[in-house]
Amino acid sequence: MSKDYQMKAAINQKLIEMGERERLKELLRAKLVESGWKDQLKAHCKDVIREKGLEHVTVEDLVTEVTPKGRALVPDSVKKELLQRIRAFLAQHAAL
Amino acid sequence: MSPAGCPHVGGWKADGWRQNLRLIYRCFVWSGSAETRTRKAKSCVCHACGAHLSRLHSCLSCVFFACFAKKHIHEHARSKRHHLAVDLLYGGIYCFLCQDYVYDKEMEQIAKEEQKKAWKMQGVGEKFSSWEPSKREVELLRHNPKRRRITTNCTIGLRGLINLGNTCFMNCIVQALTHTPLLRDFFLSDRHKCEMASSSCLVCEMSQLFQEFYSGRRSPHVPFRLLHLVWTHARHLAGYEQQDAHEFLIAALDVLHRHCRDDDGKRTSNPNHCTCIIDQIFTGGLQSDVTCQVCHGVSTTIDPFWDISLDLPGSSTPFWPLSPGGEVSVLNGEGHGGGATTLTDCLRRFTRPEHLGSSAKIKCSGCHSYQESTKQLTMKKLPVVACFHLKRFEHSAKLRRKISTYVSFPLELDMTPFMASSKEKRMNGQHQQSADAFCSDNRYSLFAVVNHQGTLESGHYTTFIRQHKDQWFKCDDAVITKASLKEVLDSEGYLLFYHKQLLEYE
Repeated sequence: MSKDYQMKAAINQKLIEMGERERLKELLRAKLVESGWKDQLKAHCKDVIREKGLEHVTVEDLVTEVTPKGRALVPDSVKKELLQRIRAFLAQHAAL
Repeated sequence: MSPAGCPHVGGWKADGWRQNLRLIYRCFVWSGSAETRTRKAKSCVCHACGAHLSRLHSCLSCVFFACFAKKHIHEHARSKRHHLAVDLLYGGIYCFLCQDYVYDKEMEQIAKEEQKKAWKMQGVGEKFSSWEPSKREVELLRHNPKRRRITTNCTIGLRGLINLGNTCFMNCIVQALTHTPLLRDFFLSDRHKCEMASSSCLVCEMSQLFQEFYSGRRSPHVPFRLLHLVWTHARHLAGYEQQDAHEFLIAALDVLHRHCRDDDGKRTSNPNHCTCIIDQIFTGGLQSDVTCQVCHGVSTTIDPFWDISLDLPGSSTPFWPLSPGGEVSVLNGEGHGGGATTLTDCLRRFTRPEHLGSSAKIKCSGCHSYQESTKQLTMKKLPVVACFHLKRFEHSAKLRRKISTYVSFPLELDMTPFMASSKEKRMNGQHQQSADAFCSDNRYSLFAVVNHQGTLESGHYTTFIRQHKDQWFKCDDAVITKASLKEVLDSEGYLLFYHKQLLEYE
């Protein structure tokens, strides 16, 4: 495992332990709803379901089709804000 | 994909399965306590490759975590014949034989309960979950198949009101109330269960009124029953003279609040914390801080309010012209050209510290004597619907007149600068605006404006109301016409109704 990967794992652990991961998830959720991202993705999901047919579509289909678009549509401002929050958290718990 | 799960779930449900499932959810999916979080942080990695971020799943039949994305959990399912796994991120149950997520009602129930418990432990409280109809509601929907489709041009909810003799003071308020979204939703979803013996319940009449407004009928409604009930319950408003719309608003809210409380009067033993719909929507908390000038001790009281009455320049109370511009006016996007007074000017004046003077000394509990003090009002708790009353009618001993000074008000209003918490932050030297926007949002949107035309002796009330986010209509008794936003914002303004943009759970 590369050093980067180890660091990611360590940060992730810390975030979960301190409950910060849940708080970040909440912040992200609120921002994504506010910016209209959720509605955009919902519409896309409906399109995929219509294409594949309601009786045949699986969660996997949706995940494969929707993930790349979802990732691309996240507004830069949201990414910036989350990054700021994580940085602030790490600065506070510098014992990493 | 039926809600009864898949055939393989049945096979998995051996004795004690509920406890086991709860444990898994509590420890590895929705980790609420610090202990479970630490355990989750350390142990939730893929047993095959050590990854922690590739859609980890936990086997439901043994202690095995593996990633989904790289198919390690699939490998485990195949070799051990353990057909079910749970997604550690979202709690969904996956069946490897059906090759899809399955939804078993009992398991979903357990998942929901554990999630709520974890949220509570983390202090998150209630969160939004979509509506699921109860059995009774499903029955009602089946027996009443007629549906009404709301399109952007649909004018349902708009209806004129006949003037029964200077009753425009009542009509204008009815228009504002029937277009208050939360109030409308409360009445249209039939939430009022009347326990009043007589037929003089104002809440029932309100309910009827909403039925009339949303019936689809376009002819003006004749609110004679409402008028009669108002005369019965608010004697001071009876008679055929023109009354003050603001007084009517307060009287109406008061009677509705009292009649609502008669419903759960049996249930709530605490008269100070009413949970009726009127209190939920309209009641805010006004904080009054009195600071002793000698010992600087602060005595704080919080009083409930339904509206904020603002003094205007030109009244006989001193109105200090505040410096033009400043971050507050710009924040609220008001045009500040030519020194016109804005709503935020009035609010700043309302929340400024006021010296009470040597003739109004307050007994200080710190100094044990009468001292000079300053008093300051701020908002402790904001209501969902904030009503601002511009005090245009002067009734002092010497003169009775109407103040027609133009006050500009914004479409969107941020109440943050006037909050008690903001004042505390300023005093502690913290500067506002951290990235913590999601814990308290104080933004409001204008949705109704009541205007008074004419003089104190003879005048007329009309209301602008907002529909479908950006359409405005002027309600002039029986006549409803389309209006532009400019007309609304250029109007004089007497009662301004603002609705909170983001609603939070208790």
